[in-house]
Amino acid sequence: MTYLATFHWGWLLASLLLGFAMGWIAVVHRGQAVSKPLARGLAVLVAALVAAALARVVPGRPGYWLDLGLIMFALYLAGCAVGSWLRDRVLSGHAKAA
Amino acid sequence: MHGLFRWSSKWWPGTIPLAVLWAIAAWTSTGPLESDLAARTTAALKDTVLDKSRVTVAGRDVTFAADAFSEEGRRSAVASVEAVPGVRLVNDETRLVPEAKPFVWSAERDVVRVTLSGSSPLPASKGKLLEAARAALGGVEVVDQMNLSRGAPPRFDNAALLLLDQVGKLKDGKITISDTKVSLSGMARDLGGREAIAAALKNLPEGFSVAANEIKAPPYIFQAYKDPVAVTLTLTGYVPDNSVHAAIVAAAARKFFSEKVVDNLKASVGAPSGFAAAVVPALGALSRLSTGTLVVSDREVKLSGDALYETAPAQIRSNLVKDFQQGWQLKAEISVKPAAAPVDATVCQQLFSELLGKATIRFVSGRANLDPDSAGLLDRLIETALRCPTANIEIGGHTDGDGENAFNQTLSEKRAQAVMEYLVKAGLPAGRFTAIGYGSTQPVATNDSDEGKAQNRRIEFVVKE
Repeated sequence: MTYLATFHWGWLLASLLLGFAMGWIAVVHRGQAVSKPLARGLAVLVAALVAAALARVVPGRPGYWLDLGLIMFALYLAGCAVGSWLRDRVLSGHAKAA
Repeated sequence: MHGLFRWSSKWWPGTIPLAVLWAIAAWTSTGPLESDLAARTTAALKDTVLDKSRVTVAGRDVTFAADAFSEEGRRSAVASVEAVPGVRLVNDETRLVPEAKPFVWSAERDVVRVTLSGSSPLPASKGKLLEAARAALGGVEVVDQMNLSRGAPPRFDNAALLLLDQVGKLKDGKITISDTKVSLSGMARDLGGREAIAAALKNLPEGFSVAANEIKAPPYIFQAYKDPVAVTLTLTGYVPDNSVHAAIVAAAARKFFSEKVVDNLKASVGAPSGFAAAVVPALGALSRLSTGTLVVSDREVKLSGDALYETAPAQIRSNLVKDFQQGWQLKAEISVKPAAAPVDATVCQQLFSELLGKATIRFVSGRANLDPDSAGLLDRLIETALRCPTANIEIGGHTDGDGENAFNQTLSEKRAQAVMEYLVKAGLPAGRFTAIGYGSTQPVATNDSDEGKAQNRRIEFVVKE
């Protein structure tokens, strides 16, 4: 994991920033939201992929791509969470001021 | 927290550029990642001793194939690959180097190259053996056909290095180690090489033993060539030591009274037993030929050339075989020189005097037995006597002044008689000769000095019309 982080820090940082931007927008976004059942389904899918990665059942290059994708996705989620949280803080600060 | 769930339902659009990013990352990074891991793995294996080591990387999975020389070595190699940072899985395809039973190693030499084959315990020892072979055999091509195997006996390297040194002493042949048994065959390069190899084998490391040593020595050759034109006797080849050398040269000087002895002999070990006892009589036989070659090769004596008269070849052959010790063989190719033109009695006398001026017929001291050293001279006297078939010849015996007159008289008579008998045995008619003893009554020099006495002890040939 440390090795992947040092080898791919550029891509990981990009995922993180992308997540941050998405999280920042998501708070005020009026677009369509993911329905609950679909979100649950996606969560199960991601959990299955994480399990597969940890169990190392996917061999060779696909295995590496899976690892890479999951790490990028995790950082994306983290970026989203931070972005949304910060935007929310900023917005509530404005609201209080108003 | 509730907000986070609400917001997260709207995070999905970012996954589309994320997927694009992921695809690009996967596309561009796979190659560099794999080569980086391969390089790190190879570096981690740098200090392990392995054969046929092969590393292939797919993604972060390393397939590692190699032949190891021990179970611990194999396990530690796999562990060090697993410990490389970034490696996800190791497909272990390592195995142990096959064990050779028996463990056989050999070095074979032919004219132009040395081939090392069989098993060698470790890559390092293999390299060491090749290097040693190149050093010991400067200039000779060294061909490596060695495999790596387990199961070498202890101290194998030392034994193989010692034997490689011996390969340098071979002209051709093969040296094999089978477990701890050493066998050798072939031909030594030089005389004494076989003995040197046998001596070196005593230093084999503990535990090793010689199962068969069939190294042959090159033939031990001694040659003598009698050249009637240059009037020389050329000696070449080997003699066992300096005292035999001196004895042979001295015998040659006695037997070849008119030829100059050219001595090109070298001393070397490896002579067959009974060497001097065979060579000296063989030189005597050569001295009876007008031109000829003597080749002594190990225990085979080859004598070829021209004898001086009809009955000589058979006599030379039978006398020589009688002198040989057991195991010695004679191959004689003796022809007879065409008879020289007849001459009249005066010339005959002149030829006799010339011959007897160069040398005297010798006898065993105080007795009437002909010395074998005089065989060459006697044959020339016979040849001369055959050239004047009508002349009658008086053979006169003379002694020095030492001792009783009566004894000297008898001795001189007996000696003259012995010479006459020798001539008759060679086929000359007895009627042509008279043997007379003069005792010490006709000295040709003073009897006061050893040299004078030696001149007085003589046989004279006088041609009577």
